[in-house]
Amino acid sequence: MLTLGIDTSTRVCSVAVCDGEKILGTLDINVGLTHSEGLVPQLETLLHLARVRKEDLELIAVSRGPGSFTGLRIGMATAEALAYSLNLPLRAVDTLKVIAYNLPVAGVLLAPVLDAQKGNLYVGQYIWDQGQLEEAEPVSILPAKNLVSLLEKKDRPVILLGECHRVPRHEGFLVASAPESARMPRGSSVAILAAQDYEPADRHSYFGMEPFYIRRSEAEELWEKRHNTK
Amino acid sequence: MEKEINILGIESSCDETAASVVRNGRDVLSNVVSTQILIHRKFGGVVPEIASRKHIEHIMPVIDKALRDAQLQLQDIDAVAVTYGPGLVGALLVGLSAAKGLALGSGLPLIGVNHLEGHVFANFLADEALKPPFLALVVSGGHTSLLVVEDYNTFRLLGQTRDDAAGEAFDKIARFMGLPYPGGPEIEKLAAGGNPQAIDFPRPLLPDSYDFSFSGLKSAVINYIHTEEQRGAELSRENVAASFQEAIVDVLVTKCKQALLATGLKKIVLAGGVSANKRLQEALASGAREVGAELVHPTSILCTDNAVMVAVRGYYQYLNRDFAPLSLNADPSLKLGTL
Repeated sequence: MLTLGIDTSTRVCSVAVCDGEKILGTLDINVGLTHSEGLVPQLETLLHLARVRKEDLELIAVSRGPGSFTGLRIGMATAEALAYSLNLPLRAVDTLKVIAYNLPVAGVLLAPVLDAQKGNLYVGQYIWDQGQLEEAEPVSILPAKNLVSLLEKKDRPVILLGECHRVPRHEGFLVASAPESARMPRGSSVAILAAQDYEPADRHSYFGMEPFYIRRSEAEELWEKRHNTK
Repeated sequence: MEKEINILGIESSCDETAASVVRNGRDVLSNVVSTQILIHRKFGGVVPEIASRKHIEHIMPVIDKALRDAQLQLQDIDAVAVTYGPGLVGALLVGLSAAKGLALGSGLPLIGVNHLEGHVFANFLADEALKPPFLALVVSGGHTSLLVVEDYNTFRLLGQTRDDAAGEAFDKIARFMGLPYPGGPEIEKLAAGGNPQAIDFPRPLLPDSYDFSFSGLKSAVINYIHTEEQRGAELSRENVAASFQEAIVDVLVTKCKQALLATGLKKIVLAGGVSANKRLQEALASGAREVGAELVHPTSILCTDNAVMVAVRGYYQYLNRDFAPLSLNADPSLKLGTL
């Protein structure tokens, strides 16, 4: 299934075009360019260089988060409009699962982390089981400083992925970091995971789709705090 | 017969998600607006993150409905026009990203529209005979600008606010008086029952300039309310609202009359959210008549954010081949005209 994958959840803008599990082309840019400027020209270049006509695409795939709120919306709005104009289905996949997919290693717990602001991290927990990447625990938000002690209690060694530099003092026997090259989300993994789960649905089933924010807006949290303590 | 040009307009700069199809810059084939006013009301103003979240939820259904209402497909469209500023950056980016996605997928040209120019161009729908050059007063929550529209693609800024925008002053006073958001219409409602001459609030008229300044007036109103409350005097909220509104209207009308006389222009248009204010419409219409000019009578479509105006502005940019690259970014403080 010829799939276009888009990830704009972090500073990296990663796009790829895949045919099933075969990666035909991938383009990752990490120079702090805003995704708003970079994403669409990057998609154009990718398709051109990979010699894929947009009319031949069969599926659009996008990371839905967690991650940068604005980044997620840029990716999702672009992906939705592409799917709409090309009359294609759209699938969204979890960003942390996309990151975990970088390390196909059984026997360990894969823990991708991304910045959740104010010293907190979004934390995913995944394991490979018989060639399938499974979610061991639902995605959660944890203070960065508590993370290592929590992960050290796990029943198997833990490999951190994602923004590992945000986890204080963690290199040890039980918790280690993935190599730099396998830490960030890849558009190719977005495309491959989306194509694997693909099930036909209504043409516009993605209408009203929202990113996987996890956190509410600060204004809502404050409002509720103020109105519950009264 | 000339070819028909259908422009799809997209707007998400603040708290309305909107899309519209306009033919030849004049015929509105569809006008879809999904508003968030009630969602933001409890916060007393637009919360940018919440606005962006609502935009991403509604953007594709709104675009789809605009095409279906117009009974057109994307292939029947000639260009995608989208607001890229000014506005809330996170909000702008949703509409802009969707527009760029559509442009990439369909191969249609992309047109970046200045939201304020859109407000001005909505007047072409109100008055079919309207042609540049004319004077335009843009008054909204974020802007108070006086400009000459020299032709369809050249604007000359005469003056703008140095501090608070007129609409911002309305909103801040409304908030101070405990009125719900958005404050402009609430002040106007209250003012209807008051005496506009009751309190002599200052009319800040910067000499030798078409610039505006409303923050001093705003402080004067707040001080007045404070002083009256401390004296234990019974405050007529209606008189405060009416006198405050009158002071703003006076300043706006005076500057417009000066500009009409100085430029010799015979038509003036009103644009932006505050143009819905009936007292301003009335006073500006009679002020214009006094100097031998005419106010293009605003219709309701001029007053709220919508995508019709984006499509209308986009049409003239289309004729001018003013297309944007797919790297177009949002510009939250995009300026109007050139100084």
